[in-house]
Amino acid sequence: MPLASNTAYACGYWSMELSELTDAIKTGNRNAANRLTQEAIEAFLEPRSILDALIAGMDDVGARFQRNEVFVPEMLIAARAMKESMAILEPLLAQAGIRPEYTAIIGTVKGDLHDIGKNLVAMMWRGANFNVIDLGTNISPERFVEAAREHHPQIIGLSALLTTTMPSMKATIEELRAAGIPNAKIIIGGAPITQQFADQIGADAFAPDAASAVEVARQLVGQSHA
Amino acid sequence: MLAREDQDCLPRMESFWGDTIKRWREEGMTDDPNVALGNDFQGICWSEPFPFPGQDVVVAEDAETVTKRDAWGQINRYWKYREGTPEHVAFPCATKDDWETKLKPRLLSLGPSVDLAGAVHSLKIGRRQGRWCHLTGLETFEMTRHLLGDENTMIAMIEDPEYLVDVSRTMTDLVLNDFEHLVANGIEPDGVWIYGDMAYRSGLLCGPPLYRQLVWPDHQRMAQWAHDHGWPFVFHTDGDVNAVIEDYIRAGFDCLQPLEAKAGMDVRNLCPDYGDRLAFIGNCDVMIYATNDRDAIEEEIRAKFEAGKATRGYAYHSDHSVPPSVSWDTYCFVMDVVDKYGNYD
Repeated sequence: MPLASNTAYACGYWSMELSELTDAIKTGNRNAANRLTQEAIEAFLEPRSILDALIAGMDDVGARFQRNEVFVPEMLIAARAMKESMAILEPLLAQAGIRPEYTAIIGTVKGDLHDIGKNLVAMMWRGANFNVIDLGTNISPERFVEAAREHHPQIIGLSALLTTTMPSMKATIEELRAAGIPNAKIIIGGAPITQQFADQIGADAFAPDAASAVEVARQLVGQSHA
Repeated sequence: MLAREDQDCLPRMESFWGDTIKRWREEGMTDDPNVALGNDFQGICWSEPFPFPGQDVVVAEDAETVTKRDAWGQINRYWKYREGTPEHVAFPCATKDDWETKLKPRLLSLGPSVDLAGAVHSLKIGRRQGRWCHLTGLETFEMTRHLLGDENTMIAMIEDPEYLVDVSRTMTDLVLNDFEHLVANGIEPDGVWIYGDMAYRSGLLCGPPLYRQLVWPDHQRMAQWAHDHGWPFVFHTDGDVNAVIEDYIRAGFDCLQPLEAKAGMDVRNLCPDYGDRLAFIGNCDVMIYATNDRDAIEEEIRAKFEAGKATRGYAYHSDHSVPPSVSWDTYCFVMDVVDKYGNYD
């Protein structure tokens, strides 16, 4: 870490600025988030610290979402602010060799074209600094297996909106298990999905909403997060 | 039922997926299942003020799906050979400028979106069958999302509420204009039934505060319009709307339907809490029907009917649409159970 930013940290000045960055993410203030990210970079703050400040903002939004204190609109503007700040920060993260620790693949299962829930989960996982491979909609079991072999994810997310496509989740899990995908935990979610159904079809976990999907994914990879 | 007065039996209606009907025909069903059930409700029109009436243009196609630009100007990807919710690819209002310079002027220049001759015909059928005949249309949040898309709608709710309100007010006006057109031409329904999915399994998509600030005034306006004509107002929404039921009552809603069980809606809680001010239609869990377990199905219907009948403001419907995982044999059993428990002593 450059001396200047060490000094700044010692003075508590930049930690205050980074808390402002966290606040900008919390409130979805994209202009402030962009400016503060740029300023933090120009002040030679460690990219990791900046990233942590962004993640802290999204974590707060996720927690408040679960407590019904904020809703999808607030989550959307926070995720957009996070995405834009990440675009500014990413070259520095790459330079510093900082990559997301975990990879997740996600898609709606075969037969399901509706992707709002899946997109929200992908957005929240990215906000938690997962490397997210979004396979899109109507993904066959074979395509999930192929993507898992290619990307070696720790997490696989299956989404279904309709009762009519729930059987595809079971088929996908069977295919992934039969293919012996190592180390990947399978999370399912969507309007008709319940914990009972997740247990029945052998999923590792069920997430009732996008914010819970972050918490569940972190638990499954054994990542503790404040 | 809507007045919560004495009746001999629960009114009834049902919704089905197209693939369910297909399966049941293969399994020997010969009649329209709603006729077999004894449907008591009749929609006589459908108000959906499209900006591009009749538009249905194929923009891409593969073996399984077809992508089309529809009458809303949306580009959606649909299944070719089965039903299901489409993938939304693009929406007509990408920016506020699109709304102000293209969509709004176009919508305001078009005539009524409802079919008067069709309404006359449906009303005649409904009256002949002794059904409760209602004007039907979309509500404003649903229409706004058709124009702007989910993401832009919800971001606009926070960042540009005036824009959102302008869209909402305009679309509500158009639906009420459609209804006025029918009434001016002699249509006399029994009530108004508005469709719009406000919520998902964990609550309102936009949250109660934004709903109250931006959408509720147009809901109140629609209910008031119905009441001004002496008609009750029924509202359809999927999802968990528990947090705003008092707001619905304050807006003048008379009845909620279909009360999605998997989203936590439950007439066993709703009837004791709100049954003196609100009627309910639905809530019998299709997920339980889909188990095809007769004991569980009978208990589901019995328990929901018991709660609903206690207020006299309840009608049968499932909590969504009956899926194709329910066999025709099972649904015949459902109808038997509705008959068994659906009478007042």
